[in-house]
Amino acid sequence: MINPTYLAQRTRSSVNWTDARFRVLKSYREWIRAAPEIQNMYSLNLPVSTVKNKIRQEFERHRYVAQLPAVDVLLFQSHSEFQETLNYWKQLNHVLKYFRIEEDPKAKLPSNFMGGFLQGRN
Amino acid sequence: MSLSIPSRIAGAAARRTSSKVFFAQSRHYHPSPSSQDATPPTKSVQELESSVETISARLHEMKTGLIPLGSPPVGPPTPTRARHQPDYDAAVDYRTSGFSPIPKRLMDGSEPGETVAAAVLSGAPQDLQARTVRIYRPAKTATQSGDWHSHHWIMDWDPLGKGYRWENPLMGWQSSADFMNGERIPFKSKEDAIAFATKQGYEYFVQEPNVRRFVPKAYANNFVHIPKRLKVIPTK
Repeated sequence: MINPTYLAQRTRSSVNWTDARFRVLKSYREWIRAAPEIQNMYSLNLPVSTVKNKIRQEFERHRYVAQLPAVDVLLFQSHSEFQETLNYWKQLNHVLKYFRIEEDPKAKLPSNFMGGFLQGRN
Repeated sequence: MSLSIPSRIAGAAARRTSSKVFFAQSRHYHPSPSSQDATPPTKSVQELESSVETISARLHEMKTGLIPLGSPPVGPPTPTRARHQPDYDAAVDYRTSGFSPIPKRLMDGSEPGETVAAAVLSGAPQDLQARTVRIYRPAKTATQSGDWHSHHWIMDWDPLGKGYRWENPLMGWQSSADFMNGERIPFKSKEDAIAFATKQGYEYFVQEPNVRRFVPKAYANNFVHIPKRLKVIPTK
């Protein structure tokens, strides 16, 4: 008898888009409900609203994925990230990877051509 | 909230949600709303209104059951930027530096076709989607030995503009911020290389090889009789 670790989820394929939608929203709900816990656990200097915004941004980035197997892979990645974050397997720098812009406002790309030209980016 | 703000959130165009709603102006995400510079939207009013109309129409179709909920997502209308222009609103990941070039289009999985959107799934740095890749066939060595080194295809990364090489101030060694400096990926055929570049979301161009032209010659043609004409045998 193998006991899975806490928050582990069995990997499975989505049957159709409705199933995928249900799983994505379920995963999103779990993340949002865990946001205050993440802030507390890693002693982040960011408000919970920033953490929730970041969760929303990461989900929105993949909103228009058109292939169901790709959505399955993204769901798997979401579940494994969730487990690693909430089991405290990550360290602060791993969590702060998502907050590059908030930590370092100068890391943004230039906003127009002249800015990019003066910085020398091609 | 006025209707002039485009909204990708289902239902937000039709009903009022909380005041802390996140708007995605393009297909890529913006920095968090707490950032200081609030750049005005770059779309014209007609585009915004038309995009809101299409979204409202689609929501209406979903509500009345004309489009089932269990269908793949239809992407928003493509942002009207000129083709091959840098996308300054692109998302920044934790590996972007002052040397990163500006991407033209980041892959987001909504591309049509059977290609796996590996750029979305692999977690590779987004700088790689900004850099151009050259697919070419290495030239034959300029000797008479043979051409066994020039039958495969190679994928090579163009050098970075700014961080390609500089002198280390301490010891004078050569420093570089270009991590794809020495990467060469060999492929058996051009189609394989193009499929790989498409899958990973790279900007690529193919450099066709210079094929040697060889004229078949026969020594006996030197002695063929051609009446009344000067015999010329082309050798190139």
